[in-house]
Amino acid sequence: MSLRSGMTAALPRHLHPGAWWLWALGLATAASRTANPLLLALVLAVAGFVVMSRRTDSPWARAYGFYLKLGLLVIVIRVVFGAVFGAPLPGTVLAHLPEVGLPEWAAGVRLGGDVTVEMVMAAGYDGLQLATLLACIGAANALANPKRLLRAMPGALYEVGVAVVVALSFSPQLVTAVSRIRAARRLRGRPDRGLRGLRGVAMPVLQDALERSVELAAAMDSRGFGRDGSAPASTRRVSGVLTLTGLLGAAAGSYGLLDATSPALLGLPLLAVGCLLAVLGLVVGGRTASRSRYRPDPWAAAEWITAASGVAAAVAMIVTAVTDDSGLFPSTSPLVVPPLPLVPLVGVLIALLPAWLSPVAPAARTGAVRRDPAPERIEETV
Amino acid sequence: MIRFEGVSVRYDDSAAPVLSGVDLHIPEGELCLVVGRTGSGKSTLLRTVNGLVPHFTGGTLSGRVTVAGRDTREHPPRELADVVGFVGQDPASGFVTDVVEEELAYGMESLGVAPDVMRRRVEETLDVLGMAAVRDRPLASLSAGQQQRVAIGSVLAAHPRVLVLDEPTSALDPQAAEEVLALLQRLVHDLGLTVLLAEHRLERVVQYADRVVLVPGGGRPLVVGRPQDVMATSPVAPPVVELGRLAGWSPLPLSIRDARRQSGSLRDRLAVDVRPAARPTSGPLIADVRRLVVRYGDVVALRSVDVQVRAGEVVALMGRNGAGKSTLLTSLVGMTGASAGTVRVCGDDPHGLRPRDLVRRAGLVPQEAADLLYADTVARECDQADRDAGAPAGTTAGLLARIAPGIGGTVHPRDLSEGQRLALALAVVLAGSPPLVLLDEPTRGLDYPAKRDLAAILAELAASGHAIVLATHDVELAATVATRTVVLAEGEIVSDGPTGEVVTSSPAFAPQVAKVLSPGPWLTVDDVALALRPAG
Amino acid sequence: MQPARVRAVRLHGRSAVALALVSGLGLLAFSWPLFVQPGSGLAHRADAPWLFVVLLPLLLAVVLAEIGDGGMDAKAVALLGVLAAVGAALRPLGGGVAGFEPVFFLLVLAGRVLGRGFGFVLGSVTLFASALLTAGVGPWLPFQMLAAGWVGFFAGCLPRAAGWREVTMLSAYGGVAGLLYGLLLNLWLWPYAIGLDTGLSFVAGDPLTENLPRFVAFTLSTSLGFDIPRALLTAALVAVTARPVLLALRRTARRAVFDAQPRFEASRPS
Repeated sequence: MSLRSGMTAALPRHLHPGAWWLWALGLATAASRTANPLLLALVLAVAGFVVMSRRTDSPWARAYGFYLKLGLLVIVIRVVFGAVFGAPLPGTVLAHLPEVGLPEWAAGVRLGGDVTVEMVMAAGYDGLQLATLLACIGAANALANPKRLLRAMPGALYEVGVAVVVALSFSPQLVTAVSRIRAARRLRGRPDRGLRGLRGVAMPVLQDALERSVELAAAMDSRGFGRDGSAPASTRRVSGVLTLTGLLGAAAGSYGLLDATSPALLGLPLLAVGCLLAVLGLVVGGRTASRSRYRPDPWAAAEWITAASGVAAAVAMIVTAVTDDSGLFPSTSPLVVPPLPLVPLVGVLIALLPAWLSPVAPAARTGAVRRDPAPERIEETV
Repeated sequence: MIRFEGVSVRYDDSAAPVLSGVDLHIPEGELCLVVGRTGSGKSTLLRTVNGLVPHFTGGTLSGRVTVAGRDTREHPPRELADVVGFVGQDPASGFVTDVVEEELAYGMESLGVAPDVMRRRVEETLDVLGMAAVRDRPLASLSAGQQQRVAIGSVLAAHPRVLVLDEPTSALDPQAAEEVLALLQRLVHDLGLTVLLAEHRLERVVQYADRVVLVPGGGRPLVVGRPQDVMATSPVAPPVVELGRLAGWSPLPLSIRDARRQSGSLRDRLAVDVRPAARPTSGPLIADVRRLVVRYGDVVALRSVDVQVRAGEVVALMGRNGAGKSTLLTSLVGMTGASAGTVRVCGDDPHGLRPRDLVRRAGLVPQEAADLLYADTVARECDQADRDAGAPAGTTAGLLARIAPGIGGTVHPRDLSEGQRLALALAVVLAGSPPLVLLDEPTRGLDYPAKRDLAAILAELAASGHAIVLATHDVELAATVATRTVVLAEGEIVSDGPTGEVVTSSPAFAPQVAKVLSPGPWLTVDDVALALRPAG
Repeated sequence: MQPARVRAVRLHGRSAVALALVSGLGLLAFSWPLFVQPGSGLAHRADAPWLFVVLLPLLLAVVLAEIGDGGMDAKAVALLGVLAAVGAALRPLGGGVAGFEPVFFLLVLAGRVLGRGFGFVLGSVTLFASALLTAGVGPWLPFQMLAAGWVGFFAGCLPRAAGWREVTMLSAYGGVAGLLYGLLLNLWLWPYAIGLDTGLSFVAGDPLTENLPRFVAFTLSTSLGFDIPRALLTAALVAVTARPVLLALRRTARRAVFDAQPRFEASRPS
C-alpha cells in the first residue's frame, strides 16, 4: 500500500457515521445491481474485512455477524419458496414435489412439481443478493456509532432528535429501576417472578419513568430548550411553502409512476423535484433555529475517501450494468460458471480502502468506574 | 439582581395562595438561603425566579418578579436560561444526555453559543467543577455528589448571573455535600454569582448564608434577615442554633466555632452527667451475623463481618458510601446471598426464605421508599399490605394512623411528602410485625420536625420489642435514637459500641452538640435540656 | 369520569397537511405492488422497490420536522423520550420483527391519553430509538416507524368512552392495529422476501383481485401463524394493562399541565 504512509497520519478518532453509511450504501447499491455470486461474495468479503479492521468493542459492533445470519435465513427462505412456488425451469431434476391444485381464487399459484437445480440456483442467487444487501446494512450498523449518527441529524429534526437522545440516555436508568423495584417486591412478601411479578414491577417502573419526565421537562425548559431565537416569520413561511409544495409534487409523481397512462414527465422527474423541494424546505426550516452543536464530528479527508470508495463500487457496477451486463447476471438456465468481470471487481475492491485509510476509533476508556467500589444500590442477585 | 414586588402565587387546583404579598430584593453576589418546612412553598418561591411558576406549572402570579431587569411575565423559563441557572432536587432526573461533557454542553447548544466559545466554556466548567478527569464518563457511573456537581456545571456553562438550587445537598452524604457546598462558595466568592438555595440540612449551609428567607407556609408573610436574626425564631433550625437558643446565647451561633466560644459557662454548668446510665439491652437475639463475606464479582463488599442485634436495640450503621452498609442490610433480608459465613434472622437464613415468610421476620424500608408502594391510593396500599402480610384487615391503616396521623386514604402514594411516604412504607413493612426492622437512609429529604417524628417512632418501636437497624449518614439521627453505632469501612467493622462512645470519639461522626460541648458526653439538645432542668 | 382530552403534541395546519400527504404516500409505498399498472414507470424495473426505500426516510423526516416545528414543547419531548425508552425496552421481550410486539399496548394507551399527534410521534420515535439501541437501522426502519406512528395516531382518534367500554374499545383496537401492522409490513416485505418470479409474487398489472390472493397466500404461508396470535396477545395485553396504565398516564398528563395557562395579575395589596 503506497498510499498508506501518506494518509494514515490521522490520529485515532471516530469517523463521521454518515461516511460509514454512505460507504455501506454504495456497496449495497453495487450489490443490488448484480446477481453474480462471485461479485456478491466479494462484496460480502470486502464489507466483512473493513468491519473486522475498523470496528470498536461497543455492543453494536457485533451487528455484522447477526446480519450475516439473517442473510442466511433469507437465502433459505428464497430457495424454499423458489422450489415450492417458483416458475418451472427445465433442467436437472433434483426432486419431485407432489403437485397441489389450488382453489379457484388462487388460480395463478403453482405449488409443487419438479424442482430443478436451475430453479434452486436462480432462487439462491436472488437470495444471496438480498443477503449481501443485508450484510452491507449490518456493516453500517456495526461501524457507525448510533449516538453520533443522532448528533448528525439535520437541525430541522431537533425536537424529535432530543426525544431520541432522552430515550437512549434513559434506557439504562430503566434497567436499574427494574432491578431495584424487583428487589423491593420481595420485601412486600410478593413473588418477584412470573407474569404477576412482571406486572407488579412494570407499573412502578412506568410510574417512576413518567414522574421523571415531568422533572426532566422542567429542567429542559430552564436550560433553554425550545428557545425561539430570532427566526423571522417570513423564513418559516418560505420553508412551509417549499415543504408542502414538495410533498404535493412527490405525491403526484408517485401516482404518475404507478399509472401507465400518465406522461413520463409526471413520474420520476416530478417525484425528484418534489423531494428536492421538500428537503429544501427542511434545510431552510433548520436554518432558522438559533442552535449550535458541541464538537460536531468533522467531515475531513478520511470521510471523503470512505464515502467515495463506497460510491466508486456503486458507480463501477452501474456503469457495467449500462454498458454490458452479461457478467452481472450469469445465466442459471443453462447453468454456467459465473464470470468475473474486471470493472466491477476493481470497483468493489476500491471499497476495501477504508480498512487502511480511515482513522482507527479511539480506544474506549473504561466506562463504568464508580468512585465507591461496592454497589450502593440494592442489587438483585437472587 | 432578583426583585419580587407584591408577588402572590395561586395554583389552579387550590383556592388558597401558596405565597402572598412577597416583597424581596436579593442584591448581586449574595448567597441567600431559603428555609421552611416541607410544603411551605419554598420550591414555589424558587421556581418563580426563572418563570417555571407560572409558565410551566400553570396558575396565577400576581405582582412582578424581575431578574437582572427581565420580567418573568414576558420571559418564560427558556428565555431566562442565559440569566438564571436552575438546578432541581434530583440531579439525575434533569439530565438530557448521558456523558459528562455532552451534558455540560447541552444548555449552550440550546442557547446557540458558538462552537469555539462552547468548547472553551466546557473546559472552563470542567476545571471549576474539578471534574476534568471524568469528562467522558457516563453520568450513571458517577457518585451522587459528582452528579449534583455536573447538574450545577451544566447550568453554569451558560454563564448565568443567578443560580437557583432546590435542596442541592439533601440527598447527599456529608462528604458529597461538602464538595457541592465548596463549589457554591467558590462561585459566590470568585465569580460573584448570586445564589438562591433552599435546603433542609441547615447545619451544612446556614453559616455560609448572607441572608436567610424563612417561608412560614400557608401564605403567611416571609421573614427575611441576617441568618442570626431569622434563626432566633425559625421553626426549622440546626442543633447548634437550638443549643444557642436554649442557652440564651447572643449573638446566636451558626457554626461550631461560634458556639464553642460562647459555651464555656454552659460546659461548667453541665459538668455533672445526670443522664440515666445506658443500660445494656438483654432482649432476645434477633439478628445474628457471623463472619459474613459478600462479593460482587471481584469486589468484596463485606469481609468477615460479625454483628448481633437484640430486641429493643436501635443500631446505627455508619460509614462512607460503598463501605458496605446497604449490603449488610440487604443480606439481612436475604436479597444478597452470603459468599461465606452465616446470616440468621430469628434463627432462619433469610436468603432461603420465601418472600411470604420473610415479611414476618425482617422488613426493610429501602432508600427510595416509593419502591415499596404500588397501589394508586393510600387505602388500597394498606389493604394490600394487610393481605401480603396475612395480617387482619385494618392493621396497616392503624399503624399508619399511629405513625403519621392525618393522611387521607384517597391520596396517591406518590403525591405524599417525603416524610409521609416514609411513614407509609414503614407502616407497610410493620404490617407483618417483623421482629427486625431495617431502614436505609431514612432521613433523605426530611426536614427537622419530620426527623424528630421519625426518631420518636423508632424509639417507640424499639421499646415495644423490635430490633432496629438503620444505615444512615445522619449523625444527628444516630445520636438521637441509636443505642449502638457500628461503623463500617471497606467492608469491615471498624468500631462497634454504645452510640455515645463511638460518635464522640470521632469528629467525623460527632453530632453538633457533641462538638460544641466536647469533651462532655452530650449528644443532643434534648440531653442538654434534660440536664439543665434540675439545675435551674 | 370523563377526563379532558390532552393534546401533548399539537398538529397545526401545516403539520396536519404534511402528515396527511406523507401518510398517503406512505400507504402507496407499502401497497404499490397491488396497484401498479403494466407499462407504468414502476412496473418494468426490478429495482422499483428500492425507490420507496429511498423516498420514505425523506418523507418521514419532513413530517417529523413539521410536527416538531412549534408543536412540541419540553414537556412533550421529555415524555416522548421517556415513553420511547420504555417502549424500546419492551420490544426485545417480543423477539424482534416476526414475534409479538408488546410495545403496541403502550402506543395505544399513550395515543389515547395524550392525543393523536403524540401517538404518531411516539410510534416513530419508539421504533427509531429501539433500532438505534439494537443496531437495527435499515431500509425497513422508516416503514416500521410510519406504521407504528399510525397505530398511535389512530388510537388518539378513538371516540370518547369510559370505564369498561373504553377498555374494550382499546383492546379491540389494539388487536386490529396489531394485525394491520403485521399485514402492512408483510406487504412491504413481499417483493423482497420471495423475489418477483414465484407463483406467490406480485405481477404488475394484474387486477387487484389476482394480486391480493397471491399476497394472502404469501401471508398465509409465511407469517399469519404469528400475526393472529400476536394480535390476540396485544388485545389481551391492552385489556389487562389498560386501567392502571391509563390512570398513570392521565396522572402524569395532569401533573405536567400540558395546557398550562399562566395568568398574571397586577399586585394586590395583601
